[in-house]
Amino acid sequence: MNVASKLPDPSVAPPADPRPSATPPFLGFGLGLRAQHYDEILNSHPPIDWFEVISENYMLPGGQPLRILDRICERYPVVMHGVSLSIASTAPPNFEYLQNLKDLARRVEPKWISDHLCWTGVHGKNLHDLLPIPYTEEALDHVVSRVQLVQDFLGRALVLENVSTYVQFNNSEMTEWEFLSELSRRSGCWLLFDINNVYVSAFNHGYDPLTFLNGIPADRVVQFHMAGHSHMGTHIIDTHDHPVCEDVWDLYVAALKRFGRVSTMIERDDNIPPLDELLLEVNRTREIAERVLPSGKLAG
Amino acid sequence: MSDFARQQSEFQRGILAGDDAILDEILDSPRENRATLFGVYRYAYGSRLVEAMRNDHELLHLYLGDETFDEMGHAYVKARPSEHPNLRWFSQGLPEFFKTADPYCNHPILSDLAALEKSLNDAFDATEAPVLTLEDMAGFAPEVWNDLMFKPHPSACRLDVRTNAAAIWMALKNDETPPDATSLDEPSRLLIWRQDTTPMFRELTAEEAMMWDEAANGIPFGVLCEMLATYDDPDGAAARGAGYLHGWITSGALTSVSAGE
Repeated sequence: MNVASKLPDPSVAPPADPRPSATPPFLGFGLGLRAQHYDEILNSHPPIDWFEVISENYMLPGGQPLRILDRICERYPVVMHGVSLSIASTAPPNFEYLQNLKDLARRVEPKWISDHLCWTGVHGKNLHDLLPIPYTEEALDHVVSRVQLVQDFLGRALVLENVSTYVQFNNSEMTEWEFLSELSRRSGCWLLFDINNVYVSAFNHGYDPLTFLNGIPADRVVQFHMAGHSHMGTHIIDTHDHPVCEDVWDLYVAALKRFGRVSTMIERDDNIPPLDELLLEVNRTREIAERVLPSGKLAG
Repeated sequence: MSDFARQQSEFQRGILAGDDAILDEILDSPRENRATLFGVYRYAYGSRLVEAMRNDHELLHLYLGDETFDEMGHAYVKARPSEHPNLRWFSQGLPEFFKTADPYCNHPILSDLAALEKSLNDAFDATEAPVLTLEDMAGFAPEVWNDLMFKPHPSACRLDVRTNAAAIWMALKNDETPPDATSLDEPSRLLIWRQDTTPMFRELTAEEAMMWDEAANGIPFGVLCEMLATYDDPDGAAARGAGYLHGWITSGALTSVSAGE
C-alpha cells in the first residue's frame, strides 16, 4: 500500500488556523516567587493574589523546592514562567525539556505557561540569556511554526514575553510590535507584556515606548511584568535588581489605559529585598489600576 | 542553512569565541556603538554562569576568595560551555575539571571540595522516596534477617576523598579558619544523604563503608555479616552489622527493605 497516498495533500490543505483557546483568567496583582521569601510566605500567607514561578527552578527530581512549590500551589494561583524554551532557536526543539515542562505543569496546574520571544543557543550550547532575533518574515514563519508545535505538545496555548534587547539587526523588515502582533495572530499565543522591557528596548533603540504599546493588539495581552533595571547612560541593562522606576510606573498607567484589566506582577531576580518591600510595589500596581481603570473594571 | 540559522550561529560565535563578524549585521543605537551594545551579551554570558557556580559552590567560593574563584569560573565556562537548558546542572563537571585542568589539577583539595559540594547539592534535590523506619523492620522474623536486602534512599551516595576536604568543608561552614589542605594516606570515606530536606554527610570507617557499598549492590544481610567478619572480630560481626544498619535507618539513608527471593 502506498502510505503517502493516504496522507492529505499539503498543497490543497487549508492553512492551519490557530487553535482558539479560552482567554486566561484575570488573577489580580502578584509577585515572582523567590527562595528568599519561602519561609515568610508559608508562615504568614501575605495578601498576594498569585505567584509566578520560574519553571526551571522546579524542573528537578525532588527535594525542598518542589515540596515548597506544592504548598504554595495549595494556597495561591500560580503561573509558570520559563527562561529556556528557546522558542526562536533554529536548533531542533529540545523535547526532553518540553516533556519536563509538561510534567511540571501536570503537578502545578498553572493558570498558564509563559516564556520569552527569544533564543538561548544553537549547536547544542545554551548561553542562558534571552537573545534577540531579527524581525524578518523568515524568522516570523519559523517562530510561528515552533509556537504551534510547542502548543500542540503541551496541549495548551503559550504566553510569550517581549524581551529587553541591546542590539537591532540591519535585516529586520518590521518592528518588534508588528512581529509580536503577527506572531500572536498567526499562532494563537497570548502575550506577556513586560512594561520594563518595553521601556528598556525603547531607550536602547531610540523609539517611543508608547508607539510599541499602541502597536500591540489589546485583546492578546494577558499579563504585565513590572521590574527594575540598571541605567548605563547610553543604554539600559535589564538587570531586574532595582525597584521599578517612575518612568516605568508612568508607562504602566498608559498600558492600563490601552489594555485594561491585566494580571500584573512584580518581577525581581537579583538583589532581592525583604518581602515587605516588594509587597509595597505589588500594592502600588493594585492602587494604580484601581485609580486608572473605570470603577468596577477590576472586579470579577 | 537558512539565513536566520546562519545569523544565530554568528551571534553565538560572537559571544563564545569573541568573533566580531556579527557586528556587520547589527546597528549602532542613537547613543552607543554596536560593539559596546553587543558587549552587553558577551559580558552577561560569563558573569551569569560564574554567578551560578558561586551559588552552587558557596564554600569553595569562600575557600578560594572572589578573585581566584571568578578566574577559575571563567576558565571553566570557557572549557565547558553549558549544554543543558537548566543552570542547575552547569557546575556538575567541576570536580572533573579540577582533576584535569592546569593549574587546578596540582591542588587535589579543589576537586575533592567541589565533589563534596556537588554531592550535597545533588542530595538536596534528589528524587523523593519513602524513608525506611525501625517500625518497618519490626515485622521481620529473626529467621529471615539473613535474606534481607536494603535499598539506599535516592539522595544517598558515597564519596571517597584523598584529602582533608571534609574537615575544610566543616570549618568553612562554621565560619572558622580552615586547616591547611593535606593529602591522606587512607581515603576519607563519606556517606552523603538528605535527612528530610537537609543534605548531610558523615565519615564512615572502612568497615562500614564496605558494608554500605555491598548493601547498595543488593548483598543480603547474612552475607554482609560474613564479610564484616573478615574485617574485625568475627564473633561481633552480626552486632556490628546491626549497629551500622540501625544508624542508616535512624538517619533516613535507606528507602526500603525486602526479604529477597
